[in-house]
Amino acid sequence: MRTHDILPEFDAALIARYDVAGPRYTSYPTAPQFHAGFTEDSLKAAALASNEEPVPRPLSVYVHVPFCFSPCFYCGCMRVITREVSKADHYLERLHREIALAGPMFDRDRPLQQLHFGGGTPNFLDLPRMTAVIEALERQFNYRRHGEREYGIEIDPRFADGRYISELATLGFNRISVGIQDFDPAVQAAVNRIQSVEQTREVLDAARASGYGSASVDLIYGLPRQTLDGFDRTLDEVVGLSPDRVAVYGYAHLPNLFKAQKHIEAAELPDPATRLALFGRAFQRLRQAGYLYIGMDHFAKADDELSQAQRKRTLQRNFQGYSTHGECDIVGLGVSAISRIGDSYSQNARDLIGYEAALDAGRLPIARGIQLDRDDIVRRAAISELMCHGELDMAEFGEKHQLDFPRMFAAELLRLDEQASDGLVTRDETTIRVTARGRLLLRNVAMCFDAYLNQPSESARYSRTI
Amino acid sequence: MQTGKSTECSLGWLNPIADDGDELHFCSTCAFSDACLSVGYGKGELMALHCLVEHVGPYRTGAHVFRTGNPFRAIYAVRAGTVKTCVVDKDGREQVLGFYLPGEVIGLNAIYPDQFPCDAVALEAAQFCRFSFPAMSALATRMPALQAHLFRLLSKELGTATFLAADHSADERMAAFLLDLGDRYRARGFSGTHFRLSMARGDIANYLRLAAETVSRVIGRFRNQGLIDIHGRSVTLLNCQGLRELAKDENYAAG
Repeated sequence: MRTHDILPEFDAALIARYDVAGPRYTSYPTAPQFHAGFTEDSLKAAALASNEEPVPRPLSVYVHVPFCFSPCFYCGCMRVITREVSKADHYLERLHREIALAGPMFDRDRPLQQLHFGGGTPNFLDLPRMTAVIEALERQFNYRRHGEREYGIEIDPRFADGRYISELATLGFNRISVGIQDFDPAVQAAVNRIQSVEQTREVLDAARASGYGSASVDLIYGLPRQTLDGFDRTLDEVVGLSPDRVAVYGYAHLPNLFKAQKHIEAAELPDPATRLALFGRAFQRLRQAGYLYIGMDHFAKADDELSQAQRKRTLQRNFQGYSTHGECDIVGLGVSAISRIGDSYSQNARDLIGYEAALDAGRLPIARGIQLDRDDIVRRAAISELMCHGELDMAEFGEKHQLDFPRMFAAELLRLDEQASDGLVTRDETTIRVTARGRLLLRNVAMCFDAYLNQPSESARYSRTI
Repeated sequence: MQTGKSTECSLGWLNPIADDGDELHFCSTCAFSDACLSVGYGKGELMALHCLVEHVGPYRTGAHVFRTGNPFRAIYAVRAGTVKTCVVDKDGREQVLGFYLPGEVIGLNAIYPDQFPCDAVALEAAQFCRFSFPAMSALATRMPALQAHLFRLLSKELGTATFLAADHSADERMAAFLLDLGDRYRARGFSGTHFRLSMARGDIANYLRLAAETVSRVIGRFRNQGLIDIHGRSVTLLNCQGLRELAKDENYAAG
């Protein structure tokens, strides 16, 4: 049984019961475990070691653009709201310095296989500014404007036109991710994001016309004033736009952590049953339209590379969710960006002041990180198997990682057995399999293998699993 | 540490260690074990040889076991980890001379000059058995098998440089290098087809007289051709016959 063979089963009562706070496992260990003991020197040592592997991994660069023209109230990202594009110049100056410091850490023969611009709003940068950043990357990395690569950018279609998208293609971009959230005007008013279907279509059409290989759109369920009828109409439009991938994220209302969310009336939020029904509707409609459920929040057409990667078992988790190029070392550039070099994670300063101060002093702006030990590495591999492929062959895994699986993970298997009694997983002598019911509760299954979750103080930091 | 974290991790082949000996038995991988056991030395002789041995280490990654010019007092048998020997020329350029695996002996090239003619650097946490050389020489006069074994080790050491001096392509060099490592691991009782490349890409390149990019390109090509599989530093030789044909030389031992 492989995940692409089985239809996930939507059981609202079961999902409600498992709706606990939990990590999304875009990394393991998760960000709360990162600590200040991991410094610039630790990162340099990790980069050096990564160059010294017999075949150094290709590189993946993430660039964070923290600016937005207008605040969306649901947002939990680190960003700065301004209408003045020139406000970004001070930041870009530091970003250029960071690129100049980070690039030389990596051997030049390592191809830049993957690039991702996230935000904030990456298209806050106009074409001259974007071109300057790309040229800086070209000077420091083995950048390719053509050929085999996955260079993606998140686009807010309210501030991009067709020409911008096609110009980005000449810079090398060939993947696009477009924010929609919901087309329902009542919801758009409540979250301060008024965006027409036409604006969205223009960007997606331009992407297709200029040769982008895969286009993705983001939706959010659980937003204020969201109704099943309204969301149904949104889903109609989305299916009509026919993106290659759709991500359907759950809104996490944490106004104490994210200031913008204070503008959202808690009373207008859908109740837990409606929340679930909204996701259930998206799930059902996208399946009917021919999308496969990859896992977590992600759907993709059967011929999309994400679906293909899942079939070929090369799918991996990364900070954007799922990735076909999980084997890359990830270099995070910009405020709050996370790097994954070898068996380490590290994160840049999450505030602009700290980020800029470090670079002004000629240092890389690393604020915290973690060097994985062997236990972390093994658990990360187990979590990845379950979240990406829905099954784990214990003997094969044990052989690969040189361990006695049932003995090392005795406590974890007991926890899994509890979930097995709820039908989330099955387990025999050799294999753990996530069931059709469990596929919507992958986080809960993965949590069984998280060694850090026994610390009770952590639970408040995570959003709900569904 | 964190609660709930298991500390039980067996490292297995990822970190082969030659450490199953006691005062009467050499480690099964030891360079000296068969020298003495096969000729039936008794308890007295074995204990005399064991008295020469001092366990030293662990040395951390990058630490020097000895440096060029240090007075020669002892030879070292690797118990765990990998070691490279190298010389640095007057312009500061390093030349890697060889890599040494668990069970192998470093320092033999210091016998004549009476001082170490190269540096020895741990490539990962490394431990050694240190054999006092004056005491060993004295014992060898009473134990012919020990003496014969020392001669064998010396002669092997002398033969390693010839392959690299000859005119071989990058593919030939790399194939020979991988086969040689496999043979040496197998000779010590470890897997000869599945092992860890503990040396840095730059060190392999330097040793084989290739560019670092070439090392990766050739290994990548071997992988694409199904000759080997590689994940990080863990390498599996899938088609030894194919590698042998590439290496072209019966006598592919590259050191």
